[in-house]
Formats: sequence, structure tokens, C-alpha cells
Amino acid sequence: MTRQAFRDSSGLTAAGVAPFLAGLASILVAGFAAWKLARAGLYSWLLPLAAVNLFLLQPGRAGDARTWRLEWGVMGLVWTLAAVLVFARLLRRSDELERRLHLEGAFFGLATGLVGSVVYALLETRLPELRGQWVAVALLLAWWAGYLVTARRYRWRA
Amino acid sequence: MRNRLRVLRAERDWSQADLAEALRVSRQTVNAIENERYDPSLPLAFSIARVFALRIEDVFTPDAEPPLPIGEPPE
Repeated sequence: MTRQAFRDSSGLTAAGVAPFLAGLASILVAGFAAWKLARAGLYSWLLPLAAVNLFLLQPGRAGDARTWRLEWGVMGLVWTLAAVLVFARLLRRSDELERRLHLEGAFFGLATGLVGSVVYALLETRLPELRGQWVAVALLLAWWAGYLVTARRYRWRA
Repeated sequence: MRNRLRVLRAERDWSQADLAEALRVSRQTVNAIENERYDPSLPLAFSIARVFALRIEDVFTPDAEPPLPIGEPPE
């Protein structure tokens, strides 16, 4: 299938190509950055990296073309699963204090998410519509912030 | 929990990195334990005692006075 034919069959508009390529580039860059961070042992930085990538990856911006939206979705899913697996593997290899830091950080993220959800529910009529992607980004960033605060308490170099 | 990690390490001329390597933990963890900001788990505490060839109570002591043995009346 030629590129033009593919465009015609999927209904892809020219406006959808740029976000798609930007998303693809961000995934590739994020994958490379994740690999470098993991090799350097700085795997807690995978959290903000995942958050940024999740923020950039917006399947809805691929236009109405279902094929491309599916492709975006699958890529995002694959990347997210890979990040979770790598993170879990590295966390198992870390020592007890670092695992504790992440546990406390994750608790902080969860608590922040709960409070944020309640606040949003109270102000729902006055705030813009909430997207699931934003919730995921906020939870990841809150987890990372909690990790940094906890690390500071133990004077751990995060 | 109080500990004598810094003294014991100095007596043997070990760096925090040396001790961390022997215990298979990070240097930051050794530092946090040494500065009494983190109480290690029981397995790690036993490992620390074993590395120094001491009993666990020779390395760690509780903050508060230990309770009196059962049956012994207070003075």
C-alpha cells in the first residue's frame, strides 16, 4: 500500500502526521534516555521520564484515523509496560532503604492522588474536563516528588 | 536505635564504600545507618554484626533503657 493510499484509506489528515511523528520521536528519545538512566543506576528518574512521555503521547491528537490512533495506543502501551517491567526489575535489585524510599514515595503519590480527586470532585463544575492521561502523569510526578522528599529525610542521594 | 558503625569502621580503616560492598547495599544506606537516620532490617543488622565479627548487641543499642528482665523487681 502506498503512502497516499494508506492516507486515503485511513482518513488521515495532514494535521495528524506531525503529532504522530513527534510522538514517535518522543518515544524513541524516551526509550534511549530510559536505557541510559538504567545503565547509570539512576532508575528513579524513570518516573518523571515516564510522566513526560505520557504527557506527550496523546493518541487523540493523531486525528480521526483509527489505524494511526491504534498504532499510537499500542506504542504507548508497549512503552509503558516496558517501563514498568524495567522499573520493577531494577527495584528488586535495589537495597532495602531505597525500596523503602519508593514505598513512601508511592504512598505520597497515592495520597496526593486521592486528595486531588476529592478536590476535583468538589470543583468539578468549575474545572476543565479531566483526562485519564493527566491523572497518570500527576500520580507519577507525585510519586517521584514523594521519593525525593523522603530521600532528603534520610540524606539519600536520589 | 544507636550504633557504633562509625567507630567500628574507623578501627578497621574501612570506608563507607568498603562496608557497603561487603554488605551488598549502597553507600548511601551505610551513611544513613551510620548517621542513625535509618534503622536497618533485622537481616541487615545481623549481616553488619557478622561483617565486624561481633554480636548484634555489640553494634546496636536501643535508644531507651532496656526493660527489666521478667521477675526482677524494680529498685
